[in-house]
Amino acid sequence: MKNPDAIVIGAGVVGACTALALSNAGLKVLVIDRGPVASGTTGAGEGNILVSDKEPSAELTLAIRSRDAWFEIDTDIGGGFELEAKGGVVVSRSTKGISDLKKLASLQKVNGVETIELDESSLQEAEPFISKDISYGVLYPGDAQCQPMLAAAQIIRAVRKRGGSFIQGENVVKINSVSGSIIGLTTDKNTYSTPVVINATGTWAGEVAKLANSFLPILPRRGFILVTSPAPKIIYHKVYDADYVANVASGEADLQSSAVVEGTASGTILIGASRERVGFKNDLNIAILRQLARQAISLFPVLSTIQLLRAYRGFRPYAPDHLPVIGEDENISGLWHAAGHEGAGIGLAPATGELITAQITGATPFMDPAPFSPKRFKGGEYVAI
Amino acid sequence: MSQFRIEFTFDGKTIPAIIGQSVGAALLATNQRSLRKTRFNKNKRGIFCGIGVCFDCLVVVDGVTNQRACIIEAKPGMKVQTQDGSNA
Amino acid sequence: MHNVVVVGGGPAGLSAALAAAAAGAPVLLIDSNSRLGGQYWRNSSDNFDDQYEQHFDLETGLLLINAVKARKEIEVWSEAQIWSATNNEGKFTLRIIYQGKEKIVNTANIILCTGAYDRTLPFPGWDIPGVMTPGGVQSLLKGHGVLAGKRVVVAGTGPFLLPVAAGVIKAGGEVVSLLEANKSRRWLTSFNVILENLGKLKEAFYYIKTISEGKVRAKFGYAVITAHAGSNGELESVDIAKIDRNFNVKKLKNIKCDVAAIGWGFTADTSLAGSLGCKQVVAKDESVIVWVDNDQQTSISGIFAAGEITGIGGSELSMAEGVIAGIAAAKFVGCKVEVLKAHRKRRAKRQRFANALIKAYPVKSGWQSWLNDQTTVCRCEEVSLGDLKYSVEELGATDSRTAKLFTRCGMGLCQGRICGRSVVDLVANELKVLPTDTDRISAVNRPIITPIPLGVLAQGE
Repeated sequence: MKNPDAIVIGAGVVGACTALALSNAGLKVLVIDRGPVASGTTGAGEGNILVSDKEPSAELTLAIRSRDAWFEIDTDIGGGFELEAKGGVVVSRSTKGISDLKKLASLQKVNGVETIELDESSLQEAEPFISKDISYGVLYPGDAQCQPMLAAAQIIRAVRKRGGSFIQGENVVKINSVSGSIIGLTTDKNTYSTPVVINATGTWAGEVAKLANSFLPILPRRGFILVTSPAPKIIYHKVYDADYVANVASGEADLQSSAVVEGTASGTILIGASRERVGFKNDLNIAILRQLARQAISLFPVLSTIQLLRAYRGFRPYAPDHLPVIGEDENISGLWHAAGHEGAGIGLAPATGELITAQITGATPFMDPAPFSPKRFKGGEYVAI
Repeated sequence: MSQFRIEFTFDGKTIPAIIGQSVGAALLATNQRSLRKTRFNKNKRGIFCGIGVCFDCLVVVDGVTNQRACIIEAKPGMKVQTQDGSNA
Repeated sequence: MHNVVVVGGGPAGLSAALAAAAAGAPVLLIDSNSRLGGQYWRNSSDNFDDQYEQHFDLETGLLLINAVKARKEIEVWSEAQIWSATNNEGKFTLRIIYQGKEKIVNTANIILCTGAYDRTLPFPGWDIPGVMTPGGVQSLLKGHGVLAGKRVVVAGTGPFLLPVAAGVIKAGGEVVSLLEANKSRRWLTSFNVILENLGKLKEAFYYIKTISEGKVRAKFGYAVITAHAGSNGELESVDIAKIDRNFNVKKLKNIKCDVAAIGWGFTADTSLAGSLGCKQVVAKDESVIVWVDNDQQTSISGIFAAGEITGIGGSELSMAEGVIAGIAAAKFVGCKVEVLKAHRKRRAKRQRFANALIKAYPVKSGWQSWLNDQTTVCRCEEVSLGDLKYSVEELGATDSRTAKLFTRCGMGLCQGRICGRSVVDLVANELKVLPTDTDRISAVNRPIITPIPLGVLAQGE
């Protein structure tokens, strides 16, 4: 495809959803990735589609729409990625934690998120194996889960069936513009002409922005996930400790970790979540694995006899203000950025695709995209909008 | 083989074993070839590699799932059950 | 305080431990089985009198096992499973599940002798209870005194089929069929090697005598290509095919049996070596093995390897390598000792035999024609060939690692030990390319070496 209407760089979940939204709006889309589908952070994701972990904000609005969009995509492309409306349960043990959780839940409720408070007995009913010393939780029926690699792959497959293309194994070396407008890009193998380029390269979005002589402050935040052997059904929803929300927003460099556990369609149990700023360091941090195990057992004591089968790490892309970047480049028209979703990439991908598509085609976006605009990083300095 | 005999149960049935034998070996000696059903297709599985590498011979031992029958030594009074998928 | 840590208590590990101890280095020998001897000298009790029937040279095994037990300088941990191993600039940390708890061993010197297990090929019905590996049938006999069934088919390729068939007969079972996929004339190309290894001929004849006394005749150029279940879902019969030299089917017939012991040589277990960062290479039989230098040292200084993981070659090569590794490791930790020319000559002789073995018993790609889309490829996760094809054709997987992530192939409890090799071949075939070394080596990458209960993980330091 030599003259596509748009090129999406990155075949992770954000790139895939963006390509799908553009395809459905009638554009001829080319997706390029230097590796296979989902070979970046998407391949290391848990598959979280959450409305529970965000305070009322632009990001929550994005999340609410995105969650519904996932189910629409599921119907649209015929499924195949284990999408499940399993619901989330957030718990807390401390008095302060419980009161903060109550406050957050009531604010979220006012903003369109369905919340159900769980006292001790209804918590035990919702999660029979949860630790008996936890007496309060909130159920979020809107939380969902999918298999992220399959999601990205099935979406790319749909894009190809609808006239789009996917090229694997080409590395973009330059993004070309003339007089401040995109004219195409060059890879290590080919040159392509297009008026629209979307940078959906996640943790590498900053490097890719440089290829256009632009700037995007995206850094990696490493996380580990434990995967257990296939286990009996122990956990019925996604369950996490209320500390999780605080950790996402934290600016500290040291290890942040809190308990997040859930079952999967295949029977394994996934245990997270840790956040460290160690660049792209590749080693397996055994101390973190132990910490994650301890936290999970503290929530579900019966996990003690369940075996750890494998562990993997991924690098979440984040911007300094912990908001995703969704919008047109500050200086180059036709260059769009869709990156920096920090651990919420899977959940937020469909709505990201919709916002980008609406702005490109001139349609009315479902929300004001200004809070996510890359213009907030004016010339290397972060400026609050 | 030492001739000291012990007994354990398999799905409630008493199974004889010789000290040192694995649960899987003792069960096979009674012609019990199937040890579990797989979790997606509910197919029967038994001992395959016999040396603890393949994880096919999974049984539930004293309530704990995913135990390899071919390497777990039979102990007196052990409660062994067929594993149904991932469940006891 | 140990200087040398040996992992694995089979022929290589026992030899390495003894050689190192004799050279003056204290040794910690870690073995995952309840009894020393590995697979080759698998035994069931201290009373060995009634076990000689099942072994050709148990004497050598006993010699080594008893010598190891007798030496104060060798501490043995049996039923010890290493679940993780990391390399921190020359300091190696082994995390071991031992007696229900986790133990940490830090060392600057390791000898890896983690051995091998039967190589299997998927085929329709291979997951029916009653289909096993030759190693499994032999382990049940030698280690547990149990005969797996009354009517046994022994098939596949390689000299290992002989002792398994002989063992079944000696235990009172009937070998209804003994099938070798390759033709015996392949050995003619290595005649000189046979001459210098007459002891191996003696061993072969020992088994052949038992087999012919059992009125069994081996058939060459035949294979089991399908297994069928009876109404109870367990093995009832197999289809045996005459195959051509590329393993394609020429004609077939059905035989009733209750056990089929099918093996296609061996796969080395290099998980621990890989975890520590040792360089792995692809051998002539396409297995992934650990690279070592002339002193059995891997690409990581201080880590040595011996036995099947440096190349499938049998017990005598394993012992010869183990001795050299033991001496070299002792020298590494400061003992005044040298590997002798005689050691190297012995190893070279055994290596020539091992090379001849590989030439004589190849596995040809025609095996892929035995499968259909419903055939299970990944046993643990019940992934079929059709699922794998879908991941390539529809989801765009262009290598076995991506196909694995899309299908869950190799993500189950055995972490690809059984299906890994086959998946690389099947995916490459689907893509109409040759498998790359990277494909093969990435299929054996396992940072978590064995499953560990979360409770044990949580309590460790």
